[in-house]
Amino acid sequence: MSLIEIKDLKVHYPIRSGFWNRVTDSVKAVDGITFNIEAGETYGLVGESGSGKSTTGKSVVGLEKVTSGSILYQGKDITQRRNRQLLDYNRDVQMIFQDSLSSLNPRKRIEDIIAEPLRNFEHLTKDQEKLRVLQLLDIVGLDADALYKYPHQFSGGQRQRIGVARAVATNPKLIIADEPVSALDLSVQAQVLNFMKKIQRGFGISYLFISHDLGVVRHMCTNIAIMNRGRLVEVGTRDDIYNHPLHIYTKRLLAAIPDVNVSERAAHRAMRQRVEQIYQSQQHDYYDESGEAYPLVQVSPTHSVALPPKLAQQLLVQESEAQD
Amino acid sequence: MAENFAQHSSISAADLDRLTREAQAEATPSTARIIWNEFKADRPALISLFVVVGFILFVMVGALFINTPKMMETNIVDYFNRPLTAGFPLGADAGGRSILLQLIVGSRNSIGIALGLTIISSTFGICWGLISGYFSGYVDWGMQRVYDFMMMLPMTMMIIVLVTIIPHYNAVTLTLIFSIFYWEGTSRLIRSRTLAESGKDYAAASLTSGTNRWKIIFRDIMPNISSLIIVDTTLSFAENIGVETGLSYLGFGLPSQTPSLGTMIANANDPNNITQYWWTWLPAALEIIILCLAISYIGQVLRRAADASQRQGTTD
Ligand SMILES: Nc1ncnc2c1ncn2[C@@H]1O[C@H](COP(=O)(O)OP(=O)(O)O)[C@@H](O)[C@H]1O
Ligand SMILES: [Mg+2]
Repeated sequence: MSLIEIKDLKVHYPIRSGFWNRVTDSVKAVDGITFNIEAGETYGLVGESGSGKSTTGKSVVGLEKVTSGSILYQGKDITQRRNRQLLDYNRDVQMIFQDSLSSLNPRKRIEDIIAEPLRNFEHLTKDQEKLRVLQLLDIVGLDADALYKYPHQFSGGQRQRIGVARAVATNPKLIIADEPVSALDLSVQAQVLNFMKKIQRGFGISYLFISHDLGVVRHMCTNIAIMNRGRLVEVGTRDDIYNHPLHIYTKRLLAAIPDVNVSERAAHRAMRQRVEQIYQSQQHDYYDESGEAYPLVQVSPTHSVALPPKLAQQLLVQESEAQD
Repeated sequence: MAENFAQHSSISAADLDRLTREAQAEATPSTARIIWNEFKADRPALISLFVVVGFILFVMVGALFINTPKMMETNIVDYFNRPLTAGFPLGADAGGRSILLQLIVGSRNSIGIALGLTIISSTFGICWGLISGYFSGYVDWGMQRVYDFMMMLPMTMMIIVLVTIIPHYNAVTLTLIFSIFYWEGTSRLIRSRTLAESGKDYAAASLTSGTNRWKIIFRDIMPNISSLIIVDTTLSFAENIGVETGLSYLGFGLPSQTPSLGTMIANANDPNNITQYWWTWLPAALEIIILCLAISYIGQVLRRAADASQRQGTTD
C-alpha cells in the first residue's frame, strides 16, 4: 500500500460576479489528478507557474478545501477535516513553503516557531522541548544562538533551513516541499537540498517535491509527474521523463533547464528555439478541442502520457527508433 | 523518537544549559525595552508621554478631593472673577464657580469617557475585524452586512435620540451608547489588514502545525498588525476626547451639572465670554489641543517601535 493515494483530485475556485454575487464560472486549478507516493521516496511534481502545483500540495497537507476526489492516508480520506483530526494528520504530513520569509511569523522567535508543532502534537517538558529544538537547529546546520532571534535576522537560505527544521520537528512521514529553493541563490540551493536529502536518509521521510524546474528535480526525485493546466500530462520514473519524454510539454520543460556549460550556450539556445517552434506548431495534437490535456494512457509499466492512445503508440515507436 | 533526533545531532541534554545561556546572550531585546528606547530617541514624544500620563494621573487623583456638588453651587459674589484672584487661580464663570476645579473634574470626566469609549469600541472593532477577515466566506459576508447596516444609521442623530429618551443617564451609560457607534471604522481597517495577513504562509504554517484557528487569529495575526492597532487606538483616543466634548458642547452629552471639557468650551457660545471673559473657555480649549497633539506624538513613537524598519532608537 502506498503512503498516500491521491484519486481524481479536483480543486475549482468559484468566480463570483454580478449584483447577486453568484458563482458564474470557476478556475480549474486542479482538474482530476491521480498519483501515489510511496514511503521513503521523493515524488516530483513539475510544471510552469499557474499549473496548479501549489494547490495540489496544499490539498495534500489539508490546507485547501477540495472540490471532489479523495486523498487516502492510512485508509482514511483526509480531505475531510474530521479524519485529519482523528489521525493527528499534520503530525505525519508537514509542509515547507516557497517563500521562507512569509512562512515564518516575523513576531515569533525561532524557538517558538520550531516548537509550535511540538507543543501541539507532542507533550514534552520544557527542557525536552528546548533540547529538541536545539537538536533540530543542529541538524539543519544552525547554531544555538538562533534560538532567541527573529526570522528577519537570517539570510534566505538560513530561513529556509529553519522552515525545514519546523517541518521535521514531529518526525513526519511525508513533507510537501513547495518550491523550497526557487527563491534562493544557486549556491544556497544546493546547500538546502543537501540538508533535505540528509534528513530524508536519516528519518526515512517521503517528499512531494514541487518545482517549476526539471533541473532541480533531477537530483532529488525517483518518480516525476508533469503538470500542466491543472492536469497531469506525463508520469514516469526519472529515466522515463529525462530520457524518453513523450509529451511536448515535457520536452519544452526539459529544453528550459538552464545550461551551466558556457561553451555550449549557443547550441542550447538553438535547441530551445527548435523545441518552442515544434511546441507552437504541434500544440493542437497534444491537447483536445477545448485546450485541455487528454486522459493519461499507460505506455510502459512505469510511464504514462496524456495523449490519444494512437498518438501515444506512434510517439513511443519513434522514440525507441531514435534511441537505437 | 527522541533517540532518533539525538542520533542525528551532536547535541545532548548535557549541553542544554550552556547553549541556552549562549543563546540568551545573543537574544534580541524585549518589546518594552524597544519601546522605551524609541521614546528616549525622540525628545518631543518623551515629553508628550510625561505630560499625558502625568496629567491624566493628576486629574484622576485630584478629582477625588473635590466635592463636585459643592463646587457646582452658584456663588453670585464671585461672578466672573478674574484669574489669579484669591481662591480662583484661573478665575470663575458666570455662576462664580472656580474654573480650575471645574477643569480638573471636567478633564477627569471627559478623559474617563474617552478612555472607556476607546477601550470598548477598539476591542470590539478589532475582534470583529480580525474574525471577519480571517474566516472569509459566509462568516465574513454576514459580519460585513451588520457593518453596512451600522454605517447606514445616522450616528450623531441616533446618539442624540438615545440620550434624549433614556431618562437617567450618567458617564457610564453615555460611554456605552457611544460605543455602539464607534467600532465600525476600526473593524473595517483591521479586517482589510487581516485579509492580507491571513493569506501569508505563516498563518498556513501555524495551521499545519496543529494550532487552533482562534489562537492563530489572536496569537499569530494580531501581533503582526499590532502597529496598525496601536496607531488606530491612540488616534481613536484623541478623536474620542472630541466625541464627548462635541456632544456636551451641543448640550447632548453630560448633563450641565456635571462638568466636562465640552460644557466648559460651551461657555464660548456667548459672544461676551469670547471677548471679555476669555478665561471661562480658553483653558479647556487649550487643554484639548495639547492633549490631542501629545497623544498623536506618542502614537507615532509606538508605531515606530512596533515596526522594526522604522526604528530610530538604538537597540543593540
Ligand atoms: N485562492 C484562489 N482563488 C482563485 N484562484 C486561485 C486561487 N489560488 C490559486 N488560484 C489559481 O489557480 C491556478 C493554480 O495556482 P497554483 O496552484 O498556485 O499554481 P502553481 O503553484 O503551479 O504556480 C492559478 O491559475 C491561480 O491563479
Ligand atoms: Mg506555486
